[in-house]
Amino acid sequence: MTLRFAAEGGRTRLRVLQQDPPWKVVRAFPQAGGQALVHLHNVSGGVLAGDRLALDIDVAPEAAAQITTTGATRLYRHRAGRPDSEQQLTISVGQHGLLEYLPDAVIPFAGSRHRLRTQVRLAPGATLFWWEVLAPGRQAAGERFAFERLGAEIDVRVGGRPILRENFLLEPAERPLGVTARMGEYSYLASFYACREGDPAAFWRAVEDNLNEVANQRTQPGETTWGVSTLASDGVLVRGLSVTGRSIPAALREFWRAARRAIGGDDPVPPRKVG
Amino acid sequence: MNDAALLRLLQLADSALPMGAAAHSFGLETLASEGALQPEGIEEFLRDYLEEAGALNSVFVRRAWRSENPSALSEEWSARKPARESREASLKLGRRFAALVNRWSDAPLIEDHLHYCVAFGAAGVVLGVPENAVVLAYLQQSMTGLVSACQRLMPLGQAAASKILWNLNPAIARAARSEEIRCFLPLPELASMRHRSLETRLFIS
Repeated sequence: MTLRFAAEGGRTRLRVLQQDPPWKVVRAFPQAGGQALVHLHNVSGGVLAGDRLALDIDVAPEAAAQITTTGATRLYRHRAGRPDSEQQLTISVGQHGLLEYLPDAVIPFAGSRHRLRTQVRLAPGATLFWWEVLAPGRQAAGERFAFERLGAEIDVRVGGRPILRENFLLEPAERPLGVTARMGEYSYLASFYACREGDPAAFWRAVEDNLNEVANQRTQPGETTWGVSTLASDGVLVRGLSVTGRSIPAALREFWRAARRAIGGDDPVPPRKVG
Repeated sequence: MNDAALLRLLQLADSALPMGAAAHSFGLETLASEGALQPEGIEEFLRDYLEEAGALNSVFVRRAWRSENPSALSEEWSARKPARESREASLKLGRRFAALVNRWSDAPLIEDHLHYCVAFGAAGVVLGVPENAVVLAYLQQSMTGLVSACQRLMPLGQAAASKILWNLNPAIARAARSEEIRCFLPLPELASMRHRSLETRLFIS
């Protein structure tokens, strides 16, 4: 799937350059300020063993896009003889462009094996708000870290400079996740990133202070804990761990609102489904 | 390893080096304060910690020893440290470590703006210390620093602390062999991010 957003006459237009199952985009909805909202559907309901998915998002200079999903990304059980499923997400935001990438949670089913690769490139003045949530498994089935393998690689760069690099490989049977060095008593992991190229370190320290107040209000030790930090440069990271997934969406929306106010001076427009 | 290299390594990895390492807990103070880390759980915690952070540190010490561009390595390390306090601590220790080594040698042997693990690897190679020894020593002194922080945070005697360090040796050796870039420590990283919000703090990080 390749999505390209371009600024035309004060509005952002979507062009779907490539669309293959299981992903589908029906249309873009105009939002306040000329931003384009896109719902990403997974028509197969999830990621099957051996699937190789690629999502390329290109936001041209001055364009503004918001992308969300219509439901959680379910990672189905691995099948013998098939390779691990893979998902490659490539994001490029041009000069003074804006992307808000706000997907639902990723749910690795028992026995699943999956790799996520995310590459983000931000041009001068480009802004990114992005969150991601990792569930421990199917809550209704009582699963907690019953997947076989989940790998992730994240590489975020501004002007070629790395500001966030993460690689992890979770194999709960080999290296348990419910220990203090990893997730402790918590089961859900949430991250929120707010980045814009070009602001000085002092600006991001002020944003960190601002979001830290939200983190302190939202933290209930033993239930949910949130922390905030500036990135190496050009952004902040909010991270949360929670026993259940219930409080995460509202907390992420609050961090998003606070970050947008601090960075852009305005309120976000929530995608319709979560508004 | 010859005598000179061994003596240099022992000094490089001396926990008593005047570089301010004792002022940093890298988030352990928050974990102890919130009750997530107790004396009886320290050894298991550090063993798990070594599987993640130890392995990643090893890779960077090794890459620095192999003379990969130290500035680029340090820039990448900054991007791999999500918690600001821990990132700043690593940079501060690297600067002080470089200043000490350059002063001993009366020469600018290593750059003074590097993260500690990168500076340590770079110092090891210019001082003629073999690669594996440098990696092992770096991990061992890191563990010594964390156990020392635990001693100041909770009731943990010297004999018990030294036993923990002794028991960690196989895990240190395993972590030192890692060539994989991966690390998953969300709770300790969150603890480092939340450290600034503790009401009373003994440590800078």
